[in-house]
Amino acid sequence: MEAPQYVAARVQQALAEDGRTNELGIRVDVRGDQLFLRGQVSEAGQRDRLGLVAHEAAPELHLHNEITIVGDVFDQGEDEHLD
Amino acid sequence: MSTLTDLRIAAVGDIHLGEDARGRYRRRLEGIEQRADVLLVAGDLTRHGTLEEGRVVADELRDLPVPVVTVLGNHDYHSDLQFEIASELRDAGVIVLDDDGVVLEIGESKLGVVGGKGFGGGYAGKCASEFGEREIKNFVSHTRFIAEAWKVALKEIVADHRVVLSHYSPIKETLEGEPPEIYPFLGSYLLAEAVDTVGADLILHGHAHRGTEKGITPGGIRVRNVALPVLGKPYAVYCMDGAC
Repeated sequence: MEAPQYVAARVQQALAEDGRTNELGIRVDVRGDQLFLRGQVSEAGQRDRLGLVAHEAAPELHLHNEITIVGDVFDQGEDEHLD
Repeated sequence: MSTLTDLRIAAVGDIHLGEDARGRYRRRLEGIEQRADVLLVAGDLTRHGTLEEGRVVADELRDLPVPVVTVLGNHDYHSDLQFEIASELRDAGVIVLDDDGVVLEIGESKLGVVGGKGFGGGYAGKCASEFGEREIKNFVSHTRFIAEAWKVALKEIVADHRVVLSHYSPIKETLEGEPPEIYPFLGSYLLAEAVDTVGADLILHGHAHRGTEKGITPGGIRVRNVALPVLGKPYAVYCMDGAC
């Protein structure tokens, strides 16, 4: 049986190198038969693609796609004064 | 428009526009001229560095009511079309820095912006050296070449304010939140050392999506990680000399 660390590494490589995603900043954790994806992307389509590529890389695991979307924020908040 | 040497700098990085972002990203920048005098973009404009994505970025940034200065990031190099993407952006009126500088006249203020993609290698005491295999030497010497180019460009700039725009990080403080094991792939202290040698008012970078916004170089120059996921808003605004 493949060690969970190697499975997580394989999924992370797939997310970075697969042309559909090319996403470098996603945290991948494997616990038992559960696969967790965490991180932030700018739109829902990319989150879905990451889930798909991760599932293809480790189809035997139950996927939890916990990636959040940050791109559609319009609240500018405070400016910073550099004095 | 601010007055005298006041200056309001909008900045964001890692916007990662795919072809599905066409016509959608620009609305995040609506009204930017009310908030800022210039927009600086810290690389990773695209997802895969394709020419089609580069054209989307060019169209989304075209004819904005404030000048736009950008550098490319590692994603923009992925398809080996970085020069073509830069050309598309320049045709759209965007200033693309490639280890050089530009001076913008904004009201009565002159803003000098120097920069480029930057590169990795790690931070003082925990970094790669130009030793051993040719591949390692090439890796480190690439960063040294960039740092030296920035130093030269900064020395040549005559302006009221000088800002350095990079994709990779010059310091590790703004990487906090990223796994320390990957710091050498997120930036290099050689970039900070070069800027500290000549001086600047501010360094902006992206690349570290899980990092921290605010840091400072060993020489006391403010550093801001403006990666979109770090900011959590369309862009940050930094005000100088009492602007805003």
